[in-house]
Amino acid sequence: MEEELLTIGQAAEYLGVALNTLRRWDESGKLVAIKKDGGTHRYYREKDLEIFASDLMMFASGWIESGVEFPGTFYCSTSSIFNARLTKMEYVLMQKPGFEKLYSLIVLVTGEIGDNSFAHNLGKWPDTAGIFFGYDLEKRIIVLADRGLGVLETLCQVRPDLPSHVAAVEVAFTEFISGRAPEKRGNGLKLVREVVTDQPIDLFYTSGDAEVRMQGADKVFRVTRGQHILRGCLAKIEF
Amino acid sequence: MKLQLEKFGTTLISRELGSEAFKAFQSTLRELSPDEELEIDFSGVLTLSPSWADEFLSPLLNQLGDRLILLPSDNLSVHATLRILQEANKQSFTMK
Repeated sequence: MEEELLTIGQAAEYLGVALNTLRRWDESGKLVAIKKDGGTHRYYREKDLEIFASDLMMFASGWIESGVEFPGTFYCSTSSIFNARLTKMEYVLMQKPGFEKLYSLIVLVTGEIGDNSFAHNLGKWPDTAGIFFGYDLEKRIIVLADRGLGVLETLCQVRPDLPSHVAAVEVAFTEFISGRAPEKRGNGLKLVREVVTDQPIDLFYTSGDAEVRMQGADKVFRVTRGQHILRGCLAKIEF
Repeated sequence: MKLQLEKFGTTLISRELGSEAFKAFQSTLRELSPDEELEIDFSGVLTLSPSWADEFLSPLLNQLGDRLILLPSDNLSVHATLRILQEANKQSFTMK
């Protein structure tokens, strides 16, 4: 039996992108459409769209590096939308066998990183406001990203002596300091570091050219300098 | 007086909403007599983040001191959050 194909309109709705985006992706080879009998209409297999939409890191890094459009279902334009989607994730996660207690720490880590993006960029977003928030609980991965100021520029408002992205990220994860001083705040990423150190949760976090990789059994918090300078922040949480 | 924290929601994450919750609670807090304790009950809360709690519990601790009593919880995020707040504020909560 022939597999039922989705029209380009249905595919656009499925992925939450514009029709023109799908046409462009087809022409560039990023997401190739099916054309029946040499016709010009574009069709898509649902399975292909599902696989395409599962590459969370590709969408997140493509967006913050070069503003590449991504499926709209991953976009949270405001903090309230992020909170609503996080609550939905929490509900599914807490019913997953083995996560009956751990879910709250995974939600805490995700919530702190996402909320930081909104709190630190409020009224200061360089271009697109909001964050990328995608997750696949089967694959046990959560990806967050923003096109904001990044950790160095944020913390330089209170610590103008910070010499590098690496130093800024180090401070963000280890000291009680806030980019919004004199408001008293800045404990979130410290707790993220502690929770990730103690629990079966892995974290990759990058801002500018600073990278934090806390993975495996013997996790040590260390900030290293990566190859590329990324704007904003990008985080991958695995569990 | 006992406050069921879940009245403010079960997923308590953002600073913004923590701050709103604190402001909203001030009118109720005025009913607390000078020697009365305020007990915080975490039951029903699914996730408590340090950002939300820093906007709500930290200023309550400043206002009430020893009269702020935290009831026991077996939620991991509540434990982790209270630990970091005590470290950041260099002040301990009174726990029951």
